Order: sequence, then C-alpha cells, then structure tokens
Amino acid sequence: MKRLQLQRWSSTVLSPRARTSNKLHQHLYSASLRHQSTVAPLQTESPTQNVIEDASLDLEDPELKLRLDSVHKRKSQLKYPSPPVNAAAESAKLAALHARLYLPSRLPLETLARTLVDVSADPNADFNNESLATLGHDLLTYYTSEHLLATYPRLPLTVIFAAMYAYVGPKTLAAMSKEWGVDVASLPGGEVDPGFLQFKRVEPGTDLSKATKGKGPRPYAEAKNWRKTVTSKIFYDDEFGDPIKGSNEAGAGVPDELARATAVRALMGAIYLHSGRPAAKLFFQQHVLSRSLNISQLFNFSQPARDLTRLCARENFEKPVAKIISETGRLSRHPVFVVGIFSGQDKLGEGAGASLLEARERAALAALKGWYLYSPLNVRVPSSMEEEGAAPWKPAYVDLGEVIS
Amino acid sequence: MPVQGLRTVTSARNGVGAFILQCKRLDFHYCNHGGSSRGMLAFLTQTLPEFARENPQIEVRVAPRHGKHPVIKGQYINGREKAICVRNMEPGEILKKAMILKDASGEKLKRTKKPVTSLNESVRGIWSPYHGDLRGV
Repeated sequence: MKRLQLQRWSSTVLSPRARTSNKLHQHLYSASLRHQSTVAPLQTESPTQNVIEDASLDLEDPELKLRLDSVHKRKSQLKYPSPPVNAAAESAKLAALHARLYLPSRLPLETLARTLVDVSADPNADFNNESLATLGHDLLTYYTSEHLLATYPRLPLTVIFAAMYAYVGPKTLAAMSKEWGVDVASLPGGEVDPGFLQFKRVEPGTDLSKATKGKGPRPYAEAKNWRKTVTSKIFYDDEFGDPIKGSNEAGAGVPDELARATAVRALMGAIYLHSGRPAAKLFFQQHVLSRSLNISQLFNFSQPARDLTRLCARENFEKPVAKIISETGRLSRHPVFVVGIFSGQDKLGEGAGASLLEARERAALAALKGWYLYSPLNVRVPSSMEEEGAAPWKPAYVDLGEVIS
Repeated sequence: MPVQGLRTVTSARNGVGAFILQCKRLDFHYCNHGGSSRGMLAFLTQTLPEFARENPQIEVRVAPRHGKHPVIKGQYINGREKAICVRNMEPGEILKKAMILKDASGEKLKRTKKPVTSLNESVRGIWSPYHGDLRGV
C-alpha cells in the first residue's frame, strides 16, 4: 500500500495512537493493539500471528497449509467487531464503490472501509466512523449554509432550516447512500465484507425518543408546550432547527437512516482529511448541491396579506392594494379572478383564483416569494476565498431579515 | 409565526453532478463441461480481465453452475436484476451482452413518448386564457 500522506493535525481525528511522541502511551497500549486501524500501527507483528505461521511452516502439503491459514484468518477475524484493515484491499465491493463515486486516489480503501463502520458496530473510536462523521457533518453544513445564505440572502430562518434539512438532512444523506449502491450488512462482525455498511439495528419496539441519555443544551427541554422561538432555535438547536439530543447509550442500536447518514458524513470527512479542501468541495458540489430542490416550495405562509403589509411598511413602500386585473364567469359555477397587488404604480405580485379572496392570497404569496427569493448576481461564497489566486472579496449582500408580524 | 418551512428531500439528478453507474455487480456463470459454455470459458479467460479493468465501478463475480447454460446476471442500484443467457455464443457476442447489462439502468424497459424528461418547470409556462392579448368577441 502506498504510504498515506496525512496532514499533521489529522492524526488527532484518525487515531490518538498515531502520536509517536508519548513513549508511555505506546508502552501502555502496545499489548492490546488491534492491527486494523487506518493509521500505521506501532508494532507490525503480533506474537500470536508468529505462532500461527511457525506451526503452519512445518506442514509439507501446500494446499493444507493454505486451508489452515484461511481457517486461522477466519478465526482471527471473528474476534473483532468490525472487519480487519487488511480485508479492505481484498474487497471487490469496496473497490467498486471507490470507483463508482470517483473518489480521489489519495483516499485509501482502508479509510473508505472505516467510514462504513458505525459506532454501534464497533465502539472503539479508532475503528468506527464517528470522528470522521463529526468532521464531515461540520463541512457539509458549513458549505450548504454558506451556499444558501449567499444565494438567497433574504430567506426567512425557518425556510433556511428546511432547506438545510433538504440538502444535508439525515433523510437526504440516507437516500444518497442508497443511490450510491451502499448495501447494509445484516449483522456487523469481523468476517463481514468491508464493502457493506455495518451497524447494530434497533431492537423492535424500542422507543426512539427515549433511547438517548443525557440532555441537550436547551433549558426546560422537557416542557413540551412552551413556545420555542426561532431565535432560541438558532441558539440551542442544531442546523435543522431540531433539538440536540444527548449521546446514545453504549450498545444501543441505530436506525438504518441514521447509520447511512453517518456513513455519508464520514466519507465527506475522510475526503477532506486525505485529499484536502478542493476535493471535499468538489465532492460536495457533485453529490449534494447538484441535487434538485425548489426552494419556492418550502414556504408555508399563514397570513400572506398581513405579512406583505408589514413588509411594505418596513421598506417604506406605498401601502399594498389588491386590484382585479381580469375576471370571467363571476356568476357562473367556475368563476376565475386574476388579482394583482400594487404598491403605488408597481405591481408586486399577481395570482388567479376561484374567488376574490383566494386570488388576493395567491397574489400576496407571489409578492412575498418574489421578495424572499431575491438572489444577487455573481454569487460568491466565503469559502471560495480559500482557492488559489482568488479574486479580492467583495462584501456579500446581507438583508435586514424576515418580516415579523 | 409569519412563515414556516416545509421539510422535503432533494431529488437526485444522476449525471448533473457526478454520474453513478447503475450497474452494481455482474455475475458470470459458466459450466466446465457443457458445450454451450465454450464461448463463455474463452470470454472469461481472454476478455473478462480487460473488461473488469475498464469498468472498476462494477463488482465482477465468476461462479460455476454445473449442467446449466452460461448466464450473465446484472445487479442494479435500484435492487432489480437482469439476466441474459449466453449459450453457444462467441466471446465477442458475450462482450456485447455484458455491455448491454453494464449500460442498463436496471429499470424495466419502457417506451419514452416525450423527447425531454425534466424536473424543471416549463420555461414557457402553462397557457392561460386570462393573460396576454385579450380579444373582443
């Protein structure tokens, strides 16, 4: 295998045991070392392996030796909760997945195998994908949020939460991993092909809302009937406006959707660590941003006409007035009215409906969406400044914020 | 609450960003004794290594099936399977069949009636009788 060229600080994410400076640390852990990490092990040969090889050397028959070797290998694999690192190079499934996703050649198969091992399958932090997933989640949400904020600076926060969920929410990431052809192993174990996603399933009948221990940062989280403001959601909740839950209990299973999402996040983190920022950003653009989302369908207005009045008052526009532009069949069974909302001479929006009220609501809706979905020309995101030879940064458009009524 | 966000999931557009080949796995089944597998055996020894090298996205499996005609089976990302019987075929013909399976999407074959299939709304919009040039009757 080619030697991995990791950034110096990446060892903290991959494995705490890669630090060679601490001699005491080495001494403490060398006895119980598992030879399956994605980082170079401190000791190359373990004593048990030598014994097996010595015993099999005495045998003359090469076929019997081969079979004995395979039996020993299988036995040694069975004692691990996840596949050993040398199995990654032999897995056709894993190599096919690597090629199918056009992953950079600097991302080794061993790390790809590690991204497919969930915490519930292997609780050892050196061999599961938890650390990579944490990094990957931060990258995914950072790139998505800067894209949304720069492209649609006027979006209300609730819509931004929904758009974030649509782009990098667990449901989308799980769907992505299915579309990549990642299969799930029925049960995790050392003998499983490393090309399968491995996690422990949730026991039937488990209450998922009560399965977590510890609590999130929000005070009085147990008071379900209290009103949660959008501002408090920014402060206490996660990127999608959902409450942050405590960590899962050790040995508890995870739902299929969550395990798949974690694996996709871990892959993003692994690409960032092994191939750097440009490759991670390209991967994000090719796999996440290229998906189709109609942001105008994420709005759910309760009182559009009132919101529009407030908006016009705030922006010092003239008061909006609804006018009938055209109508047909007022006295028939199927009347249609086309209503426009005007602020002075400017038409803000237009809508058609079966009643005057409906048409007015639709017109107000169109006017509000026209305001919120404003997108500046030549959008640049802050992370584009990290590229080589980037043009000087021009301040992005920042809006006053949504209309609060 | 002035406006609330509705949660959805983005839909995939394969090929807009990255293109994911839909064929996951190809299984080549042959028989060591049957005469109908003669071309398949030649294909497996001569052509298949190069085919596998050119298509690293596909997991290739070779497995004997004694006393049966040779078959190529393709597994697809949508969970479907397509099988083609390649009895008495020459290696060149078998390669063509393998290419058919490689290029397939895994969906059932269906007739497309429209020249373009798109998620995007029509640029021109839907015709409305209440807009545009109103003419007196």
